[in-house]
Amino acid sequence: MRPLGTKILQHKIEQFSKKYPDWQFRQLFYEPETARTNYIISAMGGSGPALFWGASDNIGPFVELEVIKQLDTLIDKSVLEQFITEPFPANTWFQQHLYQIADRVGNHLCLVYNKKLVANPPQTLNELKEIGKQLTKDLDKDGKADRYALAWNYTEPFFAVPFINGYGGQILDDNNRPTLNTEATIKAAQLIYDLANKDRIIPIECNYETSNALFLDGYAAMIINGPWSWGTYIENGIDIGITRIPMIDETGRWSSPMVSPLGYSVNINLQGEKLKITLELLQFLTSKKVELEFTRAMGTIPSRKDAFQDSSVIQNEIIQSSIYQMEVGTLMPVVTELRWIWDAMRPSYQSIFTGQVTPIQAAKDMQHLAEKLIRENRE
Amino acid sequence: MAVGVGDIHNNRLAYLYTLPALIVMGMVVIYPFFYNIVLSFSNMNLIHFKNWRITGISNYTGVFKESTFWYFLVKTVLWTAVNVVFHVTIGIFLALILNKDIKGKSFFRTLLILPWAVPQYITALTWRGMFDTEYGAVSLTLVKLFGIQIPWLTTEWGAFAACIITNVWLGFPFMMIVALGGLQSIPDELYEAADIDGASWWHKLKNITIPLIKPVMIPAITLGIIWTFNNFNIVWLVSNGGEPADKTHILVSWIYKSGFRYFRMAYAAAFSMIIFSILLIFSWNFIKRTKAVEAVY
Repeated sequence: MRPLGTKILQHKIEQFSKKYPDWQFRQLFYEPETARTNYIISAMGGSGPALFWGASDNIGPFVELEVIKQLDTLIDKSVLEQFITEPFPANTWFQQHLYQIADRVGNHLCLVYNKKLVANPPQTLNELKEIGKQLTKDLDKDGKADRYALAWNYTEPFFAVPFINGYGGQILDDNNRPTLNTEATIKAAQLIYDLANKDRIIPIECNYETSNALFLDGYAAMIINGPWSWGTYIENGIDIGITRIPMIDETGRWSSPMVSPLGYSVNINLQGEKLKITLELLQFLTSKKVELEFTRAMGTIPSRKDAFQDSSVIQNEIIQSSIYQMEVGTLMPVVTELRWIWDAMRPSYQSIFTGQVTPIQAAKDMQHLAEKLIRENRE
Repeated sequence: MAVGVGDIHNNRLAYLYTLPALIVMGMVVIYPFFYNIVLSFSNMNLIHFKNWRITGISNYTGVFKESTFWYFLVKTVLWTAVNVVFHVTIGIFLALILNKDIKGKSFFRTLLILPWAVPQYITALTWRGMFDTEYGAVSLTLVKLFGIQIPWLTTEWGAFAACIITNVWLGFPFMMIVALGGLQSIPDELYEAADIDGASWWHKLKNITIPLIKPVMIPAITLGIIWTFNNFNIVWLVSNGGEPADKTHILVSWIYKSGFRYFRMAYAAAFSMIIFSILLIFSWNFIKRTKAVEAVY
């Protein structure tokens, strides 16, 4: 959750805590990776926060490590029926048990554009390249681009996946085996490399912070980012538009970002009254009223059917655009293997941009490392 | 001398005073240390987090067989050597200047300690921003002055150099303060006697200054080597967790990544025991050879 989200959550927790004056409620915020590690360590040690909030891809490792509770026996079926199942299921089941109740769905990347700079966002890759040449500008005439058409955290594999899927690939198959050494991975990596080094419409070096800063300061006309960032753009007075990441002309497929619900899991160590109050808090935080507060402030897609159908959602251009992207997304697998696949992709994929390996070699290397990591960890 | 029951009885109060510290040390240092040894012989990982078992020395042999270990060992030695050489050289050089009667001495002393006073986290992330190829202050300055653009953070050795520069900036104030303390304890009479004998600046440095600051500098250098060898923060933050392509690691940052990102706990435990052994042998020998704990006067 970003600053705006934590602020709203804090307010909601304070509101709930009035019902239980003898109990203390507080939130701890960490970046996703740190939150996951800290939670695992604390829960393994018999303590840790009562609720863990995050994306559904945590569920596989959490279940294998036995740090979260099965919720299907704790929460009434009628409550669960209040959550959406289309276009993607809100609540996360793994190995026939429920482990996460979502307060929002999506968490997917979209193409965000600054309406002041982009009147008609590109629909296809060819259009992106064409528009990109017009939008990339050398404002101070020093021979270097000062404003780029597009910026995004493209050195992180998660941010490359929409294009891999768009080229018809997938990063793991139905049997949870890595499928990285494919034409789709090679073409996607080559595409991104070319956008930076051949078409020169994206910066040659770009991490999350840089791309965000460029977009916020008007030095990037478009950015590929997720719902967590939109509140910040709006707060900073940028008139944003959201649309699908361009279609791959060659395949006729839309670029397809990973879609995952975000929500709450319950600490395995909870018992008695604390568990009872925690479940009540969970239901409060996933109530229609609370979900819509987040939606109005941050443009998140609610996970409840009644909130999903609310007029404030239906009439919200940003949310509807986000749903439009979500419809062509790919559901994020929750299996533990995914974690090793990300870890395996990162080194080889990043080596492409340093010129150390070709996309062909990188695809081979990441496949090899993914298989090795899975084998070593499953031993 | 062995501690007998009688000794404990006679010094009961002293032992009682140290007991709380001993208990805390036992809980936060001794127990985790031995637990780490046990883990290093086990198969604990993401899948066997709770149901781990002892599997022998496979983790140790695995570490030595991997090219990763040797690659990061060489990088760690290089990292340590370059950093400590710069820390000590810059530190002593600045201490020698500050030890003179110069104008604005306290101002400069405060200014030079500043890198040490700023939290490492902030320093590291600020430097990371400054090393951005297109928008960073370092890169922009280099382009302006020399017309060269260095891809600091996206190349293996560029990122490593960026980490070293950041750590040199952070590390010299400590050596400067220690050296300054050593310099101030040298009696002026020794320099006066050397002046009467017609000794040059170099001779005074070689025969008075260096031998007399050695007792404070050797332990400081030993500590500096150990701290730098294990300086996780800078490498991790400046390289954003080992980027590019997990090439910018020193041994400890790789252990952290293996243990807490990949959850290969047993492997990381074995790796950490090997590092511990390296540092123990080095420190023992270094202090013994340099006779750092022996009296000078």
